[in-house]
Amino acid sequence: MKFHFFHLMPYPNLPADFRDKYPSVWVDVPANLFDPAVGHRSYQDYLDELEYADEVGFDGICVNEHHQNAYGLMPSPNLMAASLARRTKRAKLVVMGNSVALYNPPTRVAEEMAMLDVMSGGRLVAGFPVGTPQDTVFAYGQSPATLREKYREGVNLVMKAWREKEVFAFNGKYTQLRYVNVWPRPLQDPHPPVWVPGGASVETWDWCVENDFLYANLSYFGYREAQKVLDGFWAAVARHNVEPNPYRAGFLQFVGIADNDAEAERLYGEHAKYFYRNCLHVAPGYVNPPGYTSLATIRAGIQSQVARITRRAGSRAELANLGWKDFIERGYVVAGSPDTVVEKLSELAEKLKIGHLMVLLHFGDMPRETTLYNTTRFAKEIIPRMRDRFSEWEDRWWPREPAAAREKAHA
Amino acid sequence: MLTEETIRLPSGRSWRVFGGGEGRQILWLHGPHGVDPADPFVAALAARHRVIAPLAPGFTDLDELAEIDTIHELVLDYDDLLRHMKLASLPIVGHSFGAMMAAELAAHFPDRAQRLVLVAPVGLWNDAYPVADLFAVPGIEMDQLLWRDDAARAAHAERLKELASALDEAEQIIAVTRSLTALTKFIWPIPDKGLRKRLRRITAPTLALFGADDAFVPARYAADFGKGIAGAETQVVAGAGHMLPYEKTAQLADGITRFLARN
Repeated sequence: MKFHFFHLMPYPNLPADFRDKYPSVWVDVPANLFDPAVGHRSYQDYLDELEYADEVGFDGICVNEHHQNAYGLMPSPNLMAASLARRTKRAKLVVMGNSVALYNPPTRVAEEMAMLDVMSGGRLVAGFPVGTPQDTVFAYGQSPATLREKYREGVNLVMKAWREKEVFAFNGKYTQLRYVNVWPRPLQDPHPPVWVPGGASVETWDWCVENDFLYANLSYFGYREAQKVLDGFWAAVARHNVEPNPYRAGFLQFVGIADNDAEAERLYGEHAKYFYRNCLHVAPGYVNPPGYTSLATIRAGIQSQVARITRRAGSRAELANLGWKDFIERGYVVAGSPDTVVEKLSELAEKLKIGHLMVLLHFGDMPRETTLYNTTRFAKEIIPRMRDRFSEWEDRWWPREPAAAREKAHA
Repeated sequence: MLTEETIRLPSGRSWRVFGGGEGRQILWLHGPHGVDPADPFVAALAARHRVIAPLAPGFTDLDELAEIDTIHELVLDYDDLLRHMKLASLPIVGHSFGAMMAAELAAHFPDRAQRLVLVAPVGLWNDAYPVADLFAVPGIEMDQLLWRDDAARAAHAERLKELASALDEAEQIIAVTRSLTALTKFIWPIPDKGLRKRLRRITAPTLALFGADDAFVPARYAADFGKGIAGAETQVVAGAGHMLPYEKTAQLADGITRFLARN
């Protein structure tokens, strides 16, 4: 198995009455709640934490893209990755990723990711999410009727821009370019591995399998909630008659390590509450505009996790009242002693059959020291005990050894 | 009840077109909820006209929109239908998004519209009184934006429910989502797609009607349409919201009938 340190970079200083006073943490969250001094300190701490994860042996460090929100301070994950490319040496840079439909032209994504790959010596994993409706249709004004089509055309353009060795013309519906000729080219040949972070859309599963992209389910609601989603993905794998390799799939999980359960609650409880109370406080109208979820997916009875939780008024209110006990019982958070954590994560890996586990070790408004403590313990006490799982499979969705990449660079 | 027929064009596109009544032919372009055989406002108009009411592309099948990417292509799609039906020129009455399309048709092809009635039209944008974001609210609040009269809203919902009784709940949700998705293709994120620049081309005598309490398209847009279309009359209907054809059905149908009968 591989283990990745994922940072959401939440804004940590939302007022205690945020939920009651403001309708949404996303899209129209008031600008006056942002204190640049807090922002400055947060970026320093968060980048330190990502760099530390590299030092202590995580396979990957993950950043992602969100707009107009206090949930995550990364409108440009590429800026974060550029900083990390210089300050880290070993961990792969998992950019989860660029919402391709938002870039005009999408070759901008091919260029910036190629820069990151070359700068980092071939350590980039290229993530292509559709993007949440809050980010794409509300903050960035994309029509939900055409978002997915535009996204796919954009991803196809980026992939072609990386693969083609000659200048080519691209006559798309959303992008027309007379000359496509990306410079620099990615160091990884022909291109970095592609991961698609997705909710639960029926089309995405097939598309990932057909294109040999990794499918990552980014969930805050634990592995039991995600079973149906991953089952859907593995069914798509079976349908296409390709190898059911666990490294085709990834999953995201909050994890907190301590000496025992009580200590875990003391260390992480309030910070988890901050996340579920504030960071997921999205106005219901912003989570599922008409057209964002395909009719086929609605028919399949699957809605994105956040949409499902926040659309039902009861559940939305419920998020505010959840306590540590609920987080643990429902599996939203895996926490406790190393034995407990290994046991639960092993069950998760086995049930969902995922070779790539992304962990959130920073919760909401957690201070740097606590995050580093949690990160140290995960690296030292969890990773070694789970490392060998799935070792019988080859991971083809991962950058090859940096040495090979560097050799190529010096050839 | 209105009749329904499927009209297949040589291009391969097919249209569901509802019809009813006798008399002078008029074209009805529906609002956000589409059109159905029991539509009470179309029935009111059909008392004195032959109403032709096509279902907007996408409302039956989103694939119909695969080759319709811009407002201009959408206008051409309507034009294809009218040519096929040999409807060279006739009065055009539209509601909401349908009123925007009626104005677009009359602006693109001024000779097509003998007279033009725009009921709560979208299509313009004024920073001083923005059109509400219909798509950023959950279903129940969407109703609050559209309706002023709770009894009318309930009657409308009940009627749609009866019509949909053959469908299961999931298919009902899918039908609503499909209709709204079709709209988002052309009015997202702001419904100003250049109509402002084209209004001057409209030559048909025009009546624009607004609900005084429309929470979606404020009645103040009466001034913008009045200014944009030479000689247009505007009226603001008291006690009505965006769904005024279904809230003030008789009053509105009478007014429109009188306007269409003028020489």
